[in-house]
Amino acid sequence: MSARGRAIAAVALRSGASAAWRSGLGLRPRAERRRAVARALRLACEALGPTFIKLGQLASVRPDLVTPEMVFELERLQDRVPAVPVDAIRDVIRRELGAAPEHLFASFDPEPIATASIAQVHEATLAAPYRSVNGRLLGAGARVAVKVVRPGVARLIADDLAVARRWAERAERMRWLARWGPNALLREFESSLARELDLRVEGRVGDRFAFDFADDPLVMVPAVVWTHTTRSVLTSEFVDGWLLSELGEAERAGIDARALATHGAEVFMRQVLVFGRYHADLHPANLIVTRDGRIGYIDFGIAGRTTPPQRQAIAQVLVATAYGDADRALRASRALGLEVPEAVEPALRRGVARLMRAHLARSPADVRGFVTGFLGLLAEHRIAIPEGYGMLVKALVTVEGVARAIDPDIDLIEASKPFTTRLVAEQLLRPERLRERLPAALRAALAELMA
Amino acid sequence: MRDVLRFLAAWALVHESADEGWRAAVTRGAGLSPGDLERGPDDFVDGLAALVDAEKERLKRELAADGAGVAPTEGASDRRDADLTAALEAVRFDLAELRGRIESLQTSVDALHAERDD
Repeated sequence: MSARGRAIAAVALRSGASAAWRSGLGLRPRAERRRAVARALRLACEALGPTFIKLGQLASVRPDLVTPEMVFELERLQDRVPAVPVDAIRDVIRRELGAAPEHLFASFDPEPIATASIAQVHEATLAAPYRSVNGRLLGAGARVAVKVVRPGVARLIADDLAVARRWAERAERMRWLARWGPNALLREFESSLARELDLRVEGRVGDRFAFDFADDPLVMVPAVVWTHTTRSVLTSEFVDGWLLSELGEAERAGIDARALATHGAEVFMRQVLVFGRYHADLHPANLIVTRDGRIGYIDFGIAGRTTPPQRQAIAQVLVATAYGDADRALRASRALGLEVPEAVEPALRRGVARLMRAHLARSPADVRGFVTGFLGLLAEHRIAIPEGYGMLVKALVTVEGVARAIDPDIDLIEASKPFTTRLVAEQLLRPERLRERLPAALRAALAELMA
Repeated sequence: MRDVLRFLAAWALVHESADEGWRAAVTRGAGLSPGDLERGPDDFVDGLAALVDAEKERLKRELAADGAGVAPTEGASDRRDADLTAALEAVRFDLAELRGRIESLQTSVDALHAERDD
């Protein structure tokens, strides 16, 4: 076993022992045991560095793969690491862009403005004007953020993944672990990590997001400077404003946080239900309230997609959920790949109705509580969660969290009701749908009349 | 049988009354001036009825024109213009995105040249 393999094994053993201890050697209630395991896993990921922090973050948006306790524990992963010395960053920029930052930019701040396990960000100013993909002109001297992949991180990730692959092979041979499909799971994570390491992917997602919301004056997406962007360097417009933790200051400056929170919820609904592309990692650090009162979206590393039939079904699920119709919500969920065996359907429907009453029928609605209960219910009935469904459900909870950080009283369900209702009404009133449904409706009406 | 006839007669009567009420609302609504809709619910309903009626007439003209192979009316032409603009914007974005990709690739090529020359 390699030195790195031994180090990983040591952390895994320590975490396993800690989880066993905290769960009373398996004697504590199930939920408590799961929480203990989730916590130990989060601490292990933090101890093991970038690969595992990223894997943990990717897992935190996938309730279809890990337990709800794990999802909500892993989203707390701390991604703070010491800054890389600026000379090492300068070397990456020189290798990637062909010249030192001092020659490429009018100015380059050696102090990073953000550091994370995969990349760190420096502020700079453009030496020459640049017209962005969306047609906006960034003048010479415009402030930009230069995100640089930490040197050596790709190598470290490759080494860690090689160790993980060997373990996955072994796990595949053990019956109780094989049902999770460790090899397939690892391959999926590998491809997600590869996408995250290629900053051009993030730039393209951001450009597309900006195009989608070109008609929305309250949405701000930093323009990408493609002449200064490659696989390991992403240069984009600097977003000046307040983090969600500094909203008090923003409000004192006259920003209407409540209106922004409601608008943010509608923006999310448009992403999912109209454009079929959504920011799937919308935690508070990825949002900035700009000085002129817009919502600035940054870091498009994890994005989700929805197809037109899925969008139609999601709208139905959301409207049914908003109006507390468990039966309809489950029926529409089937179109999203949720397979509910006939035998458990009545129990599941009762469970969902109970959760709706407990979490959504109050003001403000508690989407997170509902989703946690719902995912637990699915796990209890051993119902597999389709990938897109899980990611979307988690994104919805994150959006609620972010909206609450802006306005603690916001009711995401109420805020999204007008939009989703309008969308479903539009779907129902489409001529082809009317033509398709009208004969059956007329037959049913006649049958009722003649009964 | 008599009950069924009675039911249909009631249905026809309701329909006829509703029709007369509708026509009266359209006439009243057509006489309203901008801003009158905010005076109260009755004026709002009359105004809305007039708007719906105008849209209905436009739809009738469009359908008739479609059937006769006549050039599209104002509404249809506006929609077509909007569709074309959206399609144009989408293609323009794809082109600009391609330009972005090329710029990025060119930067990588230049950087490799620079590294080789060092």
